[in-house]
Amino acid sequence: MLVVMKPNATPEQIAAVEERIRSLGLAPHAIPGAQRVAIGITGNRGALDPALFSEMAGVADAIRVSQPFKLVSREVKDEDTVLDVGGVKLGGKALCVIAGPCAVESKAQILEAAHAVKKSGARMLRGGAFKPRTSPYEFQGLGEEGLKLLALAREETGLKVVTEVLDPEDLAPCAEYADVLQVGARNMQNFALLKRLGGVKKPVLLKRGPAATLREWLMAAEYVVAHGNYQVALCERGIRTFETMTRNTLDLNAVPVLKALTHLPVVVDPSHGIGLRRHVPAMARAGVAAGADGLIVEVHPCPEKALSDGQQSLSFEEFDGLMAQVRVIAGAVGRPA
Amino acid sequence: MFVAMKPHAAEAEFEAVVERIRTLGLTPHPITGTERRVVAVIGDTSGVDPEDFAGMPGVAEAMRVSQPFKLVSREVREEDTLLDVGGAMIGGPAICVMAGPCSVESREQILEAARAVKRAGATFLRGGAYKPRTSPYDFQGLREEGLKLLALAREETGLKVVTEVMNTETVPMVAAYADVLQVGARNMQNYSLLERLGEVDKPVLLKRGLSGTIKEWLMAAEYIVAKGNPRVALCERGIRTFETMTRNTLDINAVPVLKSLTHLPVIVDPSHGIGIRKHVPAIARAAVAAGADGLIVEVHPRPEKALSDGHQSLTPAEFEGLMRQVRVIAAAIERPLAG
Repeated sequence: MLVVMKPNATPEQIAAVEERIRSLGLAPHAIPGAQRVAIGITGNRGALDPALFSEMAGVADAIRVSQPFKLVSREVKDEDTVLDVGGVKLGGKALCVIAGPCAVESKAQILEAAHAVKKSGARMLRGGAFKPRTSPYEFQGLGEEGLKLLALAREETGLKVVTEVLDPEDLAPCAEYADVLQVGARNMQNFALLKRLGGVKKPVLLKRGPAATLREWLMAAEYVVAHGNYQVALCERGIRTFETMTRNTLDLNAVPVLKALTHLPVVVDPSHGIGLRRHVPAMARAGVAAGADGLIVEVHPCPEKALSDGQQSLSFEEFDGLMAQVRVIAGAVGRPA
Repeated sequence: MFVAMKPHAAEAEFEAVVERIRTLGLTPHPITGTERRVVAVIGDTSGVDPEDFAGMPGVAEAMRVSQPFKLVSREVREEDTLLDVGGAMIGGPAICVMAGPCSVESREQILEAARAVKRAGATFLRGGAYKPRTSPYDFQGLREEGLKLLALAREETGLKVVTEVMNTETVPMVAAYADVLQVGARNMQNYSLLERLGEVDKPVLLKRGLSGTIKEWLMAAEYIVAKGNPRVALCERGIRTFETMTRNTLDINAVPVLKSLTHLPVIVDPSHGIGIRKHVPAIARAAVAAGADGLIVEVHPRPEKALSDGHQSLTPAEFEGLMRQVRVIAAAIERPLAG
């Protein structure tokens, strides 16, 4: 249920509606819009009677939300959510590019990568300190040491830091150092982690699970938002299909479909989406042309020596070329990059 | 295996290579490029040493093709294949747009659609006369009557006609009317049909099967080319995945991957690829940005009354909007629109 307040509703009238919701044992979620406030209701098992609210002072309408995801739905909030990451915007008109190595490997590596991607026009730095590797024998990341190196790179370059949090246990250090907390594809339905992220005051970049439907993904985002953190962006990174020539199948259909269903920003990861270095720029162009709000791209000073994902990481020069191409497409769809 | 001739190899030298291949019990398959002539060797070449050819006069090199698809591979022919369909091009720098209804339904419908898509900038008219419908109780197409209406629309508008051929028996009939013969997704591995199309003097638009891997799809194209018809274009139209919110999952990854593996033109079908009318333009933009050589789009004068695929067909006005957006993306990657 969504209670839509009149444009001129007073704070007292809004508070009264919230109180009525609480008195029913439910949770109110006030969502301020440009025109008016809407209050989402969660916690009800069956449908609520709109008459509970529609006659209250300041209420314009009380409507049922038809989708199973409520707070992330465009039915509840029409305007795009724009995440403000210390002045860098994710969502909204400008295209936001996040770039950096798969994993933080050393001080020299991350600093070199940060300077290079910044020079090419990235606004945020990616880099994993806690790595979810398929094999337990492979490099698992530098842990907290990696986080410190990311913070150092931020200090030097001004780039905001996006890094993955693997486990509720690592949440505290990750939240301390990172500007955006990434939930990896394998953790999309790690509900314990999602709930904990709902209590954090840092934006969350939620990657799509390799076998997750759009609805399941939006429900995962709903977990974070329902637990109190409204700063969520979605990241399409390819799904598992029968095709084996590419690492994943980048589902760009997801971009326009999500933009219609949710107000959350949509980011595309062409690196994991195709998994082949030489084809990453083409898919980055396609992601932007389809309407993505941002890109996250793997870049490494020396891809052939990378400890992970070297086959899909771009060299600095290749990334510079990608940015030039992406800028042209962004311009064509009316977005500054 | 293929044998590449030197750019100025003499005709007699070329003939000698062809003859040597024949004496080995293999089939020579000459491919003429703008730079040089290549002879693909079809058959079991495991016992043949490429060096035997490399030493012949006029031969630049002889080597095994590492991919299982040979004639459609870029290893064999580096330059892009351009299909010249009576002056309308598929492939090359210009992006071609094919548009029209899912099915030919009536004379008025197809003429109205043809005029509208022509005005918006399409150079090919699509329209099914033989329809592969999931249910045997659904509209199956107007058959020969539909083909005649397509030919009429071509006469009126000058658009070239792309239409599906569903089985071997109807190949001569469809080929008599159509400019491009489409193989539908469900027929991608109908090998008798593919072989038959290898003998036809009309270009073929080969759609990707719902569960066809890129390699299987290229092998299907190889069937047509190996049987003698080199004029093939590929059409990505979405694959079957676990996602149900969209009709198919358009695999745009296939575009850059195919462009590097094969010299054949790559067309994208955003209508089937996403299956939701309002999202067709976004995914058409994405396909062009990824490097597709063309688009095939479903357009109907009145989608809500269409006998098939109405939910994914654009109105003429929506199609005009799509064309405007596609033109901007094409310009951004420095490609003109055909026509």
